[in-house]
Amino acid sequence: MIALLRTECAKTVRRPRTYVALGFVMAIPVVVALALWANPPDPGDGDRFFRTATQTGLLFPAAMLRIMSRLVLVVVIGLFAGDAIAGEANTGNLRYMLVRPIGRGRLLAAKLLITVALLVIATITLTATATLAGGLAFGFEPISFQVFFVDQSVGNLLGHIGMATAYVSWTLAVVAAFGFMVSTMTDSPAAAAGAAVGLGVTCQILNEIESLGSIRDYLPLRYLDAWEGLFWSDRVPGDMYSGLVLPIPWILAFLAVGWWWFRRKDVLA
Amino acid sequence: MPETSTHPPGDPVIEARALTKRFSASVLAVDELSFVVERGQVCGMLGPNGAGKTTTLRMLVGLIQPTSGDARVLGGRVRPGLPELARVGTLIEGAAFVPHLRGLTNLRLWWESGGSPWEDAAVDAALAIAGLGDAVHRKVKTYSHGMRQRLGIARALLARPEALVLDEPTTGLDPQEIREVRRLVSRLAGEGVTILLSSHLLSEVEQTCTHLVVLDRGRLVSTGPTGALIGEADSSVYLEVDDRDAAERVLASIAGVGAVQREVGGLTVDIDGVARSEIVAALVHGGVGVQTVTARRRLEDAFLGLVGEEHAR
Repeated sequence: MIALLRTECAKTVRRPRTYVALGFVMAIPVVVALALWANPPDPGDGDRFFRTATQTGLLFPAAMLRIMSRLVLVVVIGLFAGDAIAGEANTGNLRYMLVRPIGRGRLLAAKLLITVALLVIATITLTATATLAGGLAFGFEPISFQVFFVDQSVGNLLGHIGMATAYVSWTLAVVAAFGFMVSTMTDSPAAAAGAAVGLGVTCQILNEIESLGSIRDYLPLRYLDAWEGLFWSDRVPGDMYSGLVLPIPWILAFLAVGWWWFRRKDVLA
Repeated sequence: MPETSTHPPGDPVIEARALTKRFSASVLAVDELSFVVERGQVCGMLGPNGAGKTTTLRMLVGLIQPTSGDARVLGGRVRPGLPELARVGTLIEGAAFVPHLRGLTNLRLWWESGGSPWEDAAVDAALAIAGLGDAVHRKVKTYSHGMRQRLGIARALLARPEALVLDEPTTGLDPQEIREVRRLVSRLAGEGVTILLSSHLLSEVEQTCTHLVVLDRGRLVSTGPTGALIGEADSSVYLEVDDRDAAERVLASIAGVGAVQREVGGLTVDIDGVARSEIVAALVHGGVGVQTVTARRRLEDAFLGLVGEEHAR
């Protein structure tokens, strides 16, 4: 298992696309920071995070996480997860891995660990780049103004950035698990990635539909934005606790179906 | 091959027992197929496209689950991850690699993914066979089809396998490369490696295989030693003569000549043990003009005959 993980890591690390995707995740905060620096927003209106991001660079990662977690991170994570098995099937290499022989359960476990690592790395890359870019553009200042009703020290803010990063990774793990499941079923990594993005987008649209009522509370990305409360109150928002629990059954269900499917699948690719 | 010398010949290496694969209600790809490839044999699996060759080979290496029946390799019942598969080299439906890695890196990561140290792999021998030279340091996505196929054969040989399962190993290769693969198969067979290869090229199978499995529409048509299936290569001769009646009389007088059959353009003669030159000499001496003498291409006849009979049923 260790050997397999090591070779899978080597394949991922030597893959140009890994860096293209992560480079994309890094480029967006840099570009936005430059734009805000060159052309500061009117403090009186607009999104709360963007309005205040120019007052301290430590709110800029929150602003970026908020907009990026809705689509860009979903797409990047969908690409990584969708590629896991379907990417190997697509090139035909899957059949040669299996006859090495690598047991199917072991192969799935290794691919899943790589996917999880990429998911976490992508989210950390985003907030780390945004923290650095925001701090350089607008300074690493504490918050001591009335916008968010609480004062926050630099250490506090950095801690909250870390918590938000972990929370968003965990919430988006549902998207990864779904993409991973579809990846065991198709020979097209693009189709699996598309399915993952489709799930992410659909969940967010359904969240907006008031008439669905409490059904929405069971949709995977219901509490995607719950971490925002960390920055404007002095308590951990209650929705974050719900948001920590909600992904568990979804992730387990998607992974179980993927595992069951792949174990009995006829590999024709 | 030190491993192989400990096993007696005749020991079954690859075996199908009533192997059946039904993909859907209407698609029965392989139907109650049974055959055995014994140690040291080079077995050719022959059949028209869609006969179920690839499906069978995939079942034999654990990629497809049989609907019923057993596939056995090196004594183990095949399932995904069967450890014995590590001693079977495989090439199925074209070689495939991780395109963004170099040729050599592909081999190494593939090898190490199974948990064995790179030093244990027969790297030099495999690379010598692939004959890719410095190209092994290039990314696989820059390879031609032939180069990939050769790297695929090299990968199949890394483990010094006891058995090889090769699905249409020469597809897409140029004549020079086809000849190299044929030589390689013969050489490996000489070293005691048991080989099962599929092909729709009769000539390829005829030249390299000691045994045959003929499939048609998922069913076994025939199996046995190549010689028995197609007649001994020199046991039959095709003659074109100017006087068939006279020729028949002369042939009847030669000891060892068996049945004589009239065909459209000439005669097919069973010549068990009699030299072709002797027959021609006798005919000419008897005043019969001989235009053509050729060894009969029996495999094609045998193959078409076998498959044709099935179709006629």
